[in-house]
Amino acid sequence: MTLPPLHIIVNGEDHHLMVPANRILLDLIREDLALTGTKEGCGLGKCGACTVLLDGRPVHACLLLAHQADGCRVDTIEGLADPAGTTLHPIQEAFVEKGAIQCGFCTPGMINTAKALLDENPTPTEDDIKLAIAGNLCRCTGYHKIVDAVSACACGSGKGECHG
Amino acid sequence: MGNPAPPYDVVGKSVPQLAAREKAAGLTRFVTDLSLPRMLHGRVLRSPHPHARILHIDTRKAKALPGVKAVATWEDTPKIKFGPRSEDWTIFASDKARFHGDEVAAVAAVDPDTAEEALDLIRVDYEVCPHVVSPLAAIAPGAPLVHEESPGNVAAEFNISAGNIDQGFDRAFAVYEDSYYTSQVYQAYMEPMSVIAETDLSGRLTLYTGTQIPNMMRMTYAKALGIPPEDIRIVVPEYGGAFGGKMENNIHLVAAVLAKKAGLPVKLTYTRHEDFLAGNPRVPMHIDIRLGATREGILTAKDVRVVGGAGARLVYSQVIVSTACYRVDSLYRFKNVRARGITAYTNTVPTACYRGFGNSQSTFVLESAMDELALRLNMDPAELRIKNGMGAGETSVHGWKIGSSGLKECVEKATDAIGWKEKRKVKQPLKGIGLACCNHVSGNRPFAREFDGGSAMVRVGKDGRVMVFHGESDMGQGQNTTFAQIAAETLGVPLSRVHVAQVDTDVSPFGLGSFATRGTLMGGNGVMAAAKKALAQLAETAGNILCVPPERITCRRDMFYDVDAPDKQLSFGVVASQATIARHGAPVVGTGFYKPPTELPDPETKQGNISPAYPFGCQIAEVDIDPDTGQVTVTRMAAAHDVGRAINPMSVEGQIQGGIAQGLGWTLMEDMHYGQGRLLNADFVDYIVPSAFDMPKIDAILVEPEEPNGPYGAKGIGEPALNPTMAAITNAIHNATGVRITTLPVNPAQLLARMKAAGSPGPELARNQNDRQDTH
Ligand code: FES
Ligand code: FES
Repeated sequence: MTLPPLHIIVNGEDHHLMVPANRILLDLIREDLALTGTKEGCGLGKCGACTVLLDGRPVHACLLLAHQADGCRVDTIEGLADPAGTTLHPIQEAFVEKGAIQCGFCTPGMINTAKALLDENPTPTEDDIKLAIAGNLCRCTGYHKIVDAVSACACGSGKGECHG
Repeated sequence: MGNPAPPYDVVGKSVPQLAAREKAAGLTRFVTDLSLPRMLHGRVLRSPHPHARILHIDTRKAKALPGVKAVATWEDTPKIKFGPRSEDWTIFASDKARFHGDEVAAVAAVDPDTAEEALDLIRVDYEVCPHVVSPLAAIAPGAPLVHEESPGNVAAEFNISAGNIDQGFDRAFAVYEDSYYTSQVYQAYMEPMSVIAETDLSGRLTLYTGTQIPNMMRMTYAKALGIPPEDIRIVVPEYGGAFGGKMENNIHLVAAVLAKKAGLPVKLTYTRHEDFLAGNPRVPMHIDIRLGATREGILTAKDVRVVGGAGARLVYSQVIVSTACYRVDSLYRFKNVRARGITAYTNTVPTACYRGFGNSQSTFVLESAMDELALRLNMDPAELRIKNGMGAGETSVHGWKIGSSGLKECVEKATDAIGWKEKRKVKQPLKGIGLACCNHVSGNRPFAREFDGGSAMVRVGKDGRVMVFHGESDMGQGQNTTFAQIAAETLGVPLSRVHVAQVDTDVSPFGLGSFATRGTLMGGNGVMAAAKKALAQLAETAGNILCVPPERITCRRDMFYDVDAPDKQLSFGVVASQATIARHGAPVVGTGFYKPPTELPDPETKQGNISPAYPFGCQIAEVDIDPDTGQVTVTRMAAAHDVGRAINPMSVEGQIQGGIAQGLGWTLMEDMHYGQGRLLNADFVDYIVPSAFDMPKIDAILVEPEEPNGPYGAKGIGEPALNPTMAAITNAIHNATGVRITTLPVNPAQLLARMKAAGSPGPELARNQNDRQDTH
């Protein structure tokens, strides 16, 4: 069965691609588009390393077929900083400053999850944050500094730096 | 040109990792992100049986599949027996598969799907053999033999004793004795193992892989492949964690064999499932302990028997078992100790290093036993630790010279932070608080035997850019940043000037690597020595320009100046440029090394100071027990760690929090579970690791007694961060329920049953507990 070309908007750029029906969205992102910032940690929807934003909502790219994203906006970590890549997004900045990054393998997925949370709820409590990132595993940090970093991005966190 | 003195400009400051921005932006190229032109994809066919004779392998159909470029089995290897410390490895199973997941064959193809399809076309005829999984069953008479050459499945034995154990117990007023078991757990680094192997026309092999021990691994692989070490180059890109798990593993050799056969680069990345099946998880251990103390709480004797499960071949388990036998003896002022260790072959995945290296298993046991002794002596467990704890200037029962010790301060600070005294006094139903201590090393003299120090090269370019070359390995925890801070402080430049080169065995010094919590101290001292050498060369140039003898020149905050006339200044950039010009383009390169004042232990008595420094720590946990399910929730922890000087406090805190998370996972949820010899929970669906919700609030407290042998007074933190966590939690469970946990991980149903047997759970039980404590 030949499928029509897939149309997705990745980090604001239109793509029309011929993609086999069984292509996993994660493989399309990492291999076809060479956006290797999105990671594969388990391939089973259990680690969150592959989290991208699909029309603004966090999803596990390892669990979706590429064609399920047809017509959708997909935002990966590479699209979060300004296009020149010189200025990081405030959430990225907070992860850096708060020491929320050790090996960094969980970081892109973690930041995307945090972005989706803060977009929906600019003033999350600590429990809101923990709940949001409960599906994103980090084996290095023990999560404390990650929660700190996300808290620091909340509106009214005292730093006067609402993200977004 | 003296050493920089405190206050320091760069050392002791919390800074983000050098690579943090790249990582945050998703631009860091991890091993799994790399590819080379025309690169093939490898897949491994693994034994579905825990133990089976291989009668025949038919690869013809796989070879014929279009897109398949190489198929390999043991027949395609040099057939050399090898191992990091043994000769029980082969590349691919030869006569027998010895564990569920053992490498039987492999394929390299143009894409992963074709490789996968080819695996299905390989026929293997097996004759299934009886298997053995439990270490104790393995050494029992009549057990199936994993290796016919090793009768009784005894892979290694270790005996140690000091003082007089019988006299020690004779003097004891209270003696505690019990048997413990600690589970086989998986490191669960977030990036699975991965490698790209390529061979050039001369046959020289390059491996791009995340490894903790690039140089030592190269020696092992040279032997395995029957080629000289100089024909192997190992490059270490950024990688996603290791925690002990990324050392020698057949993944690299399988990729090398495939790449050679195909004449093309081959990438082999384990799926998470494979990484469970064929990684190198923690050594499971049965530990029997007997521990005695006088009425005043002075420890008199410790007797231990350890049986560890090696799995199907020796990686480092025998050294880990010996570590479990005696490292913890230098936590307290022991006089009489004895330990016997057996490393047993079993039909499981080969076990090896995981943060703590045997000391975490024995710390769990000793610190549980200390709690029991405190109970028998009616003494505050914190007081019992302080009474016996090793202090600075003391020498332990095995001849370890403690240069600095913050143990007492750790106990005091942790107990203060969490309100230990009050909380122990006011017993609340189903709530408990427990404490445990730990010691560790910062480097381990007997591990690599040839030497144990650290080294580095510091290159200063004409542009003033400082590049540090080391041969250790940043697993992602921030070692490179620590090295850069040390280099910056020593040179007197801002951190922004300093960069750290990726480890490449063609260029980097022969570092031993990252294990034994040695990076900061050994590698850091090496960096400091190299930076001093570079600084001396620059000072000479600056002295020439300023017409001042170089001894009078120093550099601070990026400026060289005359110490006697500080307004005579030159910028670091100008001096670097002039130095290169004066040498007709040759960069300033300082090469330095650190030779620690350690000793190889005596082969008989095992006496000898094996490490230049010994970190200590104390952790306290508070728990809630669910009376309906037995589920344990850790609600709060205080963790005070003696780290010498924290070069980067934020990074040290992160290590403590991360170590606790892993220890908490081991205590409450993690266990590699076997059924009929097969690993049943080989993925994150069934093997649960802690999420953000499982983590308590943690007070991470840094105790900083200056370590005389440390760079700027620093010692390591990697492993101590986890060592006391398990016992802190289980001691808290005991405080809450009266139940002594002797098996990791805690089984909530069993805990509940034992609580019921001891009295009903809930307020009732809590009252009983108080009564019992009062009558002691
Ligand atoms: S890779 Fe998608 S959740 Fe783990
Ligand atoms: S920083 Fe390593 S897994 Fe999160």
